[in-house]
Amino acid sequence: MATVTIIDPVTRIEGHMRIQVTIDTILGTLQVVDAKCTGTQFRGFENILVGRDPKDAPSLTQRICGVCPVSHALASTLALESAAGAIIPSNARVLRNLVLGANFLQSHILHFYLLAALDYVTGPASAPWTPAWNVDLMRSSSLQQICNNFVTAVSMRRLAHEMGAIFGGRLPSPTAFQAGGFTTKPTAAMVDAFASRLATLTQFITNHYVPDVKLLKSVYPDHVYFGAGPGNLLAYGGFDLNDAGSSRLFRRGLVYESAPTTVQTMASSKISEMVTHSWYADYTNGLNPANGSTVTVDPATKANAYSWLKSPRYDNAPFETGPLARMWVNGDYRGGVSVMDRHMARALEAQKIATAMSGWLNQLSIGGPVYGTYTNPSTASGVGLTEAPRGALGHWATITSTKRSPTGGPSVGNYQIITPTCWNASPQDTNGVRGALEQALIGTPVSNASQPIEVLRVIHSFDPCLSCAVHVMRPNGKPLVVRTTGAPAQS
Amino acid sequence: MKITRRDFIDYCAKAAAVLGLQSTLGPMEKALASTSGPPIIWIKGASCSGCTVSLANRVSSAAPVDLADLLVHTIDLVYHPTLMAAAGDLAVQTLRKAEAGTFVLAVEGGIPTQYGGRTCTLWTQNGVDVTALSAVQELAPKARYVLSIGTCASYGGVAGAAPNPTSIVSVSTASGLSTINVPGCPPHPDWIVWTIAQLLAGTVPALDSYRRPTALYGATVHSKCSRRSSAWATSLSQTGLCNGNLGCKGRRTYADCSTRQWNNGTNWCVGTVSAGGNGADSLCLGCTESGFPDKFAPIFSTMGALPLDHETVNPPRSSCNACHSSGRPD
Repeated sequence: MATVTIIDPVTRIEGHMRIQVTIDTILGTLQVVDAKCTGTQFRGFENILVGRDPKDAPSLTQRICGVCPVSHALASTLALESAAGAIIPSNARVLRNLVLGANFLQSHILHFYLLAALDYVTGPASAPWTPAWNVDLMRSSSLQQICNNFVTAVSMRRLAHEMGAIFGGRLPSPTAFQAGGFTTKPTAAMVDAFASRLATLTQFITNHYVPDVKLLKSVYPDHVYFGAGPGNLLAYGGFDLNDAGSSRLFRRGLVYESAPTTVQTMASSKISEMVTHSWYADYTNGLNPANGSTVTVDPATKANAYSWLKSPRYDNAPFETGPLARMWVNGDYRGGVSVMDRHMARALEAQKIATAMSGWLNQLSIGGPVYGTYTNPSTASGVGLTEAPRGALGHWATITSTKRSPTGGPSVGNYQIITPTCWNASPQDTNGVRGALEQALIGTPVSNASQPIEVLRVIHSFDPCLSCAVHVMRPNGKPLVVRTTGAPAQS
Repeated sequence: MKITRRDFIDYCAKAAAVLGLQSTLGPMEKALASTSGPPIIWIKGASCSGCTVSLANRVSSAAPVDLADLLVHTIDLVYHPTLMAAAGDLAVQTLRKAEAGTFVLAVEGGIPTQYGGRTCTLWTQNGVDVTALSAVQELAPKARYVLSIGTCASYGGVAGAAPNPTSIVSVSTASGLSTINVPGCPPHPDWIVWTIAQLLAGTVPALDSYRRPTALYGATVHSKCSRRSSAWATSLSQTGLCNGNLGCKGRRTYADCSTRQWNNGTNWCVGTVSAGGNGADSLCLGCTESGFPDKFAPIFSTMGALPLDHETVNPPRSSCNACHSSGRPD
């Protein structure tokens, strides 16, 4: 007989999420047969940005998320620079990559040891790690080395932020990211300080983090057989390796589940956001973010909707984004798509990034320029596509002079953001097709329906960040009509 | 509370030294001798989790040396949605159990009121979604202390910036009670740890008119900045020069960033290499202030909407030394 279980709050994620799963016995196996994922908070950053000086966008948008502020700051600067046609010095590109990389390492270590591991091992004998579900699948004795590394991991992620602050100013919320370049001029001493911390982190990742994930995989071999989801993988690509933007550490592209070794070109014009099951007005359904519009409705008035997240779709199909998607599209990891494959890809990605960062340090020009020029264009639009620790991140900005900013200059006319967790944790779309996480939950075997730890394991494999998955509020109910002019959106 | 008396006294003494305070531990010693600290319930409103991430960056030679030390030995953090092992009903039961006794409430994030608070729900209980608004209204009156962590909880912050789409208010406004505020976007981990340590010992530190501990927020960023009294920078990345004419809000921002610095002293927003160490050469945004960000927007404007004062007259003074020496108030 089917039972409906609600897990609210879903803990050990960033932000607010509610999960509802229907569990039933099918062919003798107790498993999830339906799932609904609800993002239970939003704030309306896009609306907050409208009318402001565009140069404020990197500082404001980085406060969408305290775990991935660097990615938002970067996407925002890229969107503004694309709108203005501004060129940044090489040093700035490399410095941005180094601080972004530092934050990736922090985020992945945080995720595995403080967020995900607690689904498999017992934490220290103290709040907040007790109480916990008493599920006999927690084979702590086999996973003792993960427990042994817990305290070191806390220190390592702190060190990663320290490393990033050497160039970034401080973390979270680095002030060095500004449209036009970067504010910190690198010195030999800074490079040395960064390099020594990077060496320590690389050692931890290679000698502990990656082996710990491999150990986890070996103790839970069946966890490669569930949590797949649609299997469509999307990456905007990240970490520009040259000034021309023609080479990235992770390439831009996508694969469909039906042809997993064929990497296809990504065209951002094929992205749309559906809102049929989201708390937004139906007449805004299906818009591309370059022409995005968001009109909220009171949840009490839209019965079939169940999330503050929209449903981003690529050519009407749901996609997963994140370390697995990046590593897959780039050809670095093609083990499979499952709970355990996501953890493996994330750890290997951390190793790949740490290794690359050491080479990037050598590319810095000591004392060289970091800050070019950036002036707000009078009328233009731009796009910044990059990767956050959790996946593909895009900022679409339109700058206008029809309305002036408080200083009398051009202002933000429209600003739309699609975050990786919006891709991953989206609700059903107009066609009733569930989002990646919802699909990944279906078919998950459950050993104890009142303590469905396997459900948490699937959720945590995506490393959800719900604060990112926000959209604009329009309390007055009026749609925002946007005309795009200037440079076409990058594809 | 799991900290030993000796450890705590040691910590307070060292913390006091860092802050340049005379150690006045008398009341705390007495409190420690007789009680153990109450558990902490930490809930999140409309937040970005930056305050929690910043707290996790805690590092010190004095206990608690890092986040693990803090959680295992210093505080009893019975509820924290980002860190706790329990999920769903078990998490909510844990909160309810602590709520029945003495506890400290810490809130991160602003409290939305649009749509009856339905833009931010924290948990489901008996099939009902509990909003951040109703959670704060229920928990705050029962708490021994209510701590607003970060600028959003303290004053509304970035999520409450114009036009404030979800009608965010501070924890104090949502609950109708006074809160002890540890603002910052995010706040420095030491500010959070120090304030919690005071409260667990039963002492409410001296607060300013914005209810921030004066020990931490008593002086402006500018008053102890190494770039003060130098010529004015004309663009970012000019080492050693004052960024006041580019938009730095240090003169109107109360926080000890310029001495404590950030991320284990590696840098800070306005840091500069001429002072030794690393330098971001960027701007203070005013993130510890009530009214951040709008009070100081746009970022590259001098003092934003505040009236201009003598330092920004035209032509600008070539240096502040004409009238200010290091001993003069800012």
